[in-house]
Amino acid sequence: MRLVRLTRRLLEAALVTTGVALLFAIAVLVAAGVVLRKLGAPIGWYDEIAGVLLAWLTWYGAALAALERAHLGMPDLVALAPPALRVPLVLVRAALVCGTMALVAWFGWQIVAILGDERLVTVPWLTVGVAQSAIPIAASLFVLAELLTLPDRLAEARAGAAAKDPERILLEAAR
Amino acid sequence: MSGLVLLLFLAVLVALDVPIAVALAILALAAFWAAQGFDALVTSAVTLFSASTNFPLLAIPLFILAGTIMNTAGITRRLVALAAALVGFVRGGLAMVNVAASLFFAEISGSAVADVAALGSVLMPAMQKRGYPKEFTAALTSSSASLAIIIPPSIPMILYAVMADASVVQLFVAGILPGLLGGGLMMGLCALYARRHGFPVEQAFDLCRLWAATREAGWTLLLPVIILGGIFTGTVTATEAAGLAVVAAVLVGALYRELSPRAILQGAREGVVQTAVVMLLIATSALLGEYLTEARIPQALTGAITGLTREPWAVLALLNLLFFVLGCFLHGAAAIILVVPIVMPIVRAVGIDPVHFGLVVTLNIAIGQQTPPVASVLMTACSIAKADIWAVTRWNLPFIGVLLLVLLLVTYVPAIPLALVELIYR
Repeated sequence: MRLVRLTRRLLEAALVTTGVALLFAIAVLVAAGVVLRKLGAPIGWYDEIAGVLLAWLTWYGAALAALERAHLGMPDLVALAPPALRVPLVLVRAALVCGTMALVAWFGWQIVAILGDERLVTVPWLTVGVAQSAIPIAASLFVLAELLTLPDRLAEARAGAAAKDPERILLEAAR
Repeated sequence: MSGLVLLLFLAVLVALDVPIAVALAILALAAFWAAQGFDALVTSAVTLFSASTNFPLLAIPLFILAGTIMNTAGITRRLVALAAALVGFVRGGLAMVNVAASLFFAEISGSAVADVAALGSVLMPAMQKRGYPKEFTAALTSSSASLAIIIPPSIPMILYAVMADASVVQLFVAGILPGLLGGGLMMGLCALYARRHGFPVEQAFDLCRLWAATREAGWTLLLPVIILGGIFTGTVTATEAAGLAVVAAVLVGALYRELSPRAILQGAREGVVQTAVVMLLIATSALLGEYLTEARIPQALTGAITGLTREPWAVLALLNLLFFVLGCFLHGAAAIILVVPIVMPIVRAVGIDPVHFGLVVTLNIAIGQQTPPVASVLMTACSIAKADIWAVTRWNLPFIGVLLLVLLLVTYVPAIPLALVELIYR
């Protein structure tokens, strides 16, 4: 369990740092894009790069959201199931989510391999492979995040809905 | 796979607590696999990537970040003080302040959850100290915060514009009159509540106090000028205005010397997660959308509905019902992303203006934020007030009634949302 907690903390720190850095980079880029355009010196590559940054934010942020269990869903229906069913349902869920994201990561690697050396239109020094690498990397991290949260989910399933913190139920529902 | 089978599988996956975004990916991959074989799935990665690079959607993280910075920069406190100086002198003054501050905040924030989190933590304790029931404070803060998504800028409107291929700017302009109408009606309802429950009068109206509050909030009031002025005059796009809003919020916070780097980082982290949750939904819904388009499911639905009726009022009634029911069970962003691309062919086929329909959808989302079990804004308000959701809902029913009335007016009197759009852009 100590290894799980340590891995979880490291993954969380890496994803938060990446996500926040991307968010600030987007803000600076968009604001600079407007100001420079108004000054008559537009940046030709700014919307393409901003789009790539948004895609990275989406995918690395999605892995962070998986770690924080923040993705939109209906968490309380499984908790209301009969006790004997809850653990199997949690395992089926984990298999579906991890399997799908593993497939997405696999397809992502294949696309990186096929298109990897092509260049972006306005930024020829950046390859499509680097831009699209966010999908396979982040989808793999998504799987890791799901596996790291599985012990908590299984513990909650064993305990049932009554053991869940009401505040947490409220916040999960609010999300 | 037919639409009904997909819907059934989606319900099963969501009931299993599979995140809706992942559930959409599962359905899309399974449907493509069944229709075209496993090799066809490789290109799904390209669709998932390109759907998450959509430039107009950059406004979402930027407005969330701007809202976070505003919360930590003393802007909320100054807006509340200004609203108090403006309307605090009537009976139930703090309730009026709550609605007025929401209207101000709505002009610089695109998110109702940001609105309720910012204003709720300031106003709800103050109202409770003055004898307002905590359930009433949560209900009012929650409902008035939903005005934030009707009044521009608005994240749901940006999402709708991308999904429906409609003009963001025209949607923003269309939201002004319904938002003000909703605010006015809510203030009227607060006056009735105040008389019935004997809510207190705050200090008497004082022009000097109003002037002082306006001066104090001076830089804050520049924010809506920059954001909305830039968008409405066509100087910047909604996305660029969101970028400028971040810079302006930082500058205003620096002027007030109230910026907290720690709070900004915490807010930015929440912004990253909120953005990713919505954007992943968009990416995977684009994948499913490709399958639905190839299978001609939206066209089949359009044919089925227009076979029943081609009357715009009847189609609007059906769609209102659909969004109202969905709003009770789905997060607003999910409802827009899932349903709008499917129903837009019907909307266009019967001649409903996409901007008009955008306001109808946005109002339904606002109502959905107030109707349990899935009611994001209401839950946030209850969480801050530490109040029971169902007890708050009882107080909230008249406010939901106000939102429903505005929805009916907007649905059947298109001039309310479209008058300003016609005047400025058509």
